[in-house]
Amino acid sequence: MIFGRPLRKALTGVLFVLLLDSATLAAVDMPSAPWTVEALVALLKEQREPSMAFEEATYSSLLTEPLKVRGQLRFTPPATMEKAITDPFRERYVIEGERVLFESERKKIKRTISLEDYPALRSFVAAFRASFTGDAAQLQKVYETTLDGTRRQWTLLLRPREKTGQSMVDYILFTGSEGRVATIAIRSPDGDRSVMTLLPGASPGAVR
Amino acid sequence: MIQRLGVVALWAAAMACGLWLVTTKVSVHSELADLLPEGTTATQRLLLTQVRTGIAGRILLLAIEGGEPDALVQASREFGQQLRATGQFDVVGNGEQALAKLDKELLFRSRYLLSRRVSLDAFSADALRHGLEQRLDDLRSPLASLVKETIPGDPTGEFLDILAGWSGQEGAEKYRGVWMSGDHARALLVVETRAAGFDADAQAAIQQDIRKTFEALPDRPASLRLLMSGPGVFAVKTKHRIEAEVWWLSTAASTLVLLFLFASYRSVTLVLLSLIPLSTGIVAGIVAVNGWFGFIHGITLGFGITLLGIVDDYPIHLFSHLHARGSAPVAMRAIWPTMRLGVLTTVMGFSSLLLAGFPALAQLGLFAVAGLIAAALVTRWVLPLCVPAAFTPRAVPRGIVPTLAQLSKARWLVPAAAILATFALLWSDTPLWQTDLASLSPVSEAGKRLDQQLRGELGAPDVRDLLVIEGPTAEDVLQRGEAVMAQLEQLRAEGLVAGYDLVSTYLPSRRSQQARQQSLPERSVLASNLQIALAGLPFAPGLFAPFLDAVESARTQSVLDREAFRGTALGLKLATLLVEQQGRWTAVVPLRGVADRPRLGEAVVAWQASGVAYVDLKEESNRLMTAYRDRTVAVAAWGLLAIAVVLAVGLRSVAVLWPVLMPMLSALLVVAALLNAMGESLSLFHVATFLLVIGLGLDYALFFNRPEGADDDRARTLYGLLVCSMTTILVFGVLACSMIPLLHAIGITAAAGSFCCLLFGGMMAGRELSPNG
Repeated sequence: MIFGRPLRKALTGVLFVLLLDSATLAAVDMPSAPWTVEALVALLKEQREPSMAFEEATYSSLLTEPLKVRGQLRFTPPATMEKAITDPFRERYVIEGERVLFESERKKIKRTISLEDYPALRSFVAAFRASFTGDAAQLQKVYETTLDGTRRQWTLLLRPREKTGQSMVDYILFTGSEGRVATIAIRSPDGDRSVMTLLPGASPGAVR
Repeated sequence: MIQRLGVVALWAAAMACGLWLVTTKVSVHSELADLLPEGTTATQRLLLTQVRTGIAGRILLLAIEGGEPDALVQASREFGQQLRATGQFDVVGNGEQALAKLDKELLFRSRYLLSRRVSLDAFSADALRHGLEQRLDDLRSPLASLVKETIPGDPTGEFLDILAGWSGQEGAEKYRGVWMSGDHARALLVVETRAAGFDADAQAAIQQDIRKTFEALPDRPASLRLLMSGPGVFAVKTKHRIEAEVWWLSTAASTLVLLFLFASYRSVTLVLLSLIPLSTGIVAGIVAVNGWFGFIHGITLGFGITLLGIVDDYPIHLFSHLHARGSAPVAMRAIWPTMRLGVLTTVMGFSSLLLAGFPALAQLGLFAVAGLIAAALVTRWVLPLCVPAAFTPRAVPRGIVPTLAQLSKARWLVPAAAILATFALLWSDTPLWQTDLASLSPVSEAGKRLDQQLRGELGAPDVRDLLVIEGPTAEDVLQRGEAVMAQLEQLRAEGLVAGYDLVSTYLPSRRSQQARQQSLPERSVLASNLQIALAGLPFAPGLFAPFLDAVESARTQSVLDREAFRGTALGLKLATLLVEQQGRWTAVVPLRGVADRPRLGEAVVAWQASGVAYVDLKEESNRLMTAYRDRTVAVAAWGLLAIAVVLAVGLRSVAVLWPVLMPMLSALLVVAALLNAMGESLSLFHVATFLLVIGLGLDYALFFNRPEGADDDRARTLYGLLVCSMTTILVFGVLACSMIPLLHAIGITAAAGSFCCLLFGGMMAGRELSPNG
């Protein structure tokens, strides 16, 4: 006998642990439906927080170093979204239906524009709105969606279907875990991109 | 016999010649603008040019409804694309690409001449620093991808500023890239036709094409409907309506008249013969109008033929005086002095139309005058020769003479009616004169409502309020425009106007552009300012080389004028906002949403800006029509005086003037009072019809007061008069049934006038001249 009893015991133990582990994993994965875009957005809707702090870095061929901003992202059902930049300057975009209120302290501008005039913004808004309202159909109508990874660690790749969207956005890449979005990367066709990192909960410094 | 054949042959030859001219040489126009006057003041001329050829007249508003918003979007995109491809339109707007690529390139290339922000210190290190920081903000914003490509060449953001100015005029809401009504029930489009709005034929063809294009859209859901509005649509509808109405009205009227004539004379021959003067008159009228004006308008033709219906009176007089004893030429000779006087005075009446200076009325006047004279001459020299020698007319009812005698006992009623009518007019609440032209518009209420609604949704001006800036050169006008820009902005801030479209906001004067060029720094200065401004900012090295090049070339670039924009959508806009007319230049500034017209008028006067005036087009066009009306009234009054003189000479007695003129004048007053009591105010077109009534009245009165021998003769004259007035009442009574306000006005005035003239003429028939009296 090359393999003595103790070794056999040890192997059994490892096997047991392995089995146990896969069983626990299965216990998490099994009850829910297969991991699909529908399942993801349903989860996103369920675990949505009213407000999230974000940090965003913009990488551009025009720049020698990325530009960073910090602020708050809010979503008020059914369709109001707000992106408020608080640092290094204060600027706000409030999107209600098809209207966008744009307010900039530094440029001393406060005006309302139509979402229609800004296809890039429109695709972006559509992605968010559909994700956070659990509307997978809408999301898949505007974007070609590719979901990879597991429920614990997933990436969602969105590519605009319409030409107008394509001219502004190459792709939007969401990464996250469970019903929480960790990063949103947007890449434009010329290679410039921005990466937004979402932090759970409102940061104490964030004020409307 | 030979002589008789010769005359008839001569007439036949003349008619053949006339008909040949009519069919080959006469050009019939349908453009309503051809009937509009030139205007006497510069403002009126401008207004009329705007109406004729201006952008306001060339715009068609389109809407697609009857589907889901997404289907409407799809249809609008497809429709817009196909319409653009036809090349029939200067502009097809549906919200997609507000400015074409060519336009944008031109604006980008010329940004330092066009931007209002370019001044001496616009390119200092501080100003540049400020601009650069803003560009960093732009890059950080969600809109970065839109503005990114302009940053290296335009770090101060002039281009985006100009663009915002150019496209800031759009009012319609958008849904998925195309214009939509607020409730997403309609996709909206605007097209600008090359053809003028008043060119009804061209407009009809264009609108037909638009409908066809819409019907043929691929994958169009069957439920989608196309709505169309705008001056061109109204012009086409009006034309169709007038044509349709004139057709059935004239068919109905001529059928009735022919039937009535047959009933009166029981002779097909006489009915056919009565067509000789009428047809001669029509041919003569057409040839005369075409000879004088170079064309005849379709409307002149329609109205003119109706108007010439009165020449039927001439053969009727002849037929009524035919009797067994004398031949037709003898009967004609007997009544000719009376008829001649009647023709002469009627012709004088219609000449007033010729002198009124209004092309529409002048054509009508010439048509009537030429037609009347030709018809009278043919009745005198040709018609009697055509009446069969052995013809015995039907005996006229003998009861007419005593009835008239009864009637003349009430002669006091005529002046009484005139006095009553005068007082009624003086005390009436209904204004005597119509000053609002719109009430005569044949456009339906539903059509007007749709137009208003679409204009509201599209944010298109309804082209009533204009600021007019005039000057000897385009440059002067542009400078004056720049001078009032701040004041206009003030008006907008006060809410007196919601918006304006001023040429100077798009195209700066040469002076301003040169001043901007001179304030641009030299390359070395700019480069060093930029170097200072860039310190510590994370822009890639050498990024702004295009900016340095652009400023340098702008310093020597040739300044822009209207010509530079030729062939672009912007060029069209400039062409409509800045027009040259008889060596003078005018900027037309459409104002949107005027809150208080009188106050706006005062405000503009208070600016004391030279060459700048506020024009309320509605007010102005009403004033224009009123001026022509007053002139027509004045000419007609002088005409009446001349008629009275001619009558006095012709009748060789002033005493006879009273029974001849009084019935006609009373009839005018009574008809005016009657119309007024019905709530109708008088317009230019009523005045024109009054001239017809004057002619009829004189004709009737002259025959009523004709000295005659026997009761038989008297009865024939009276019978003839009855038939005459009855045919007139029939023709115009039918016209009074028209739904078109204009035709209704003419019809009711003439029919009531004819009746009153007959009644009053009969009442005042000179007893002393009649042997029975």
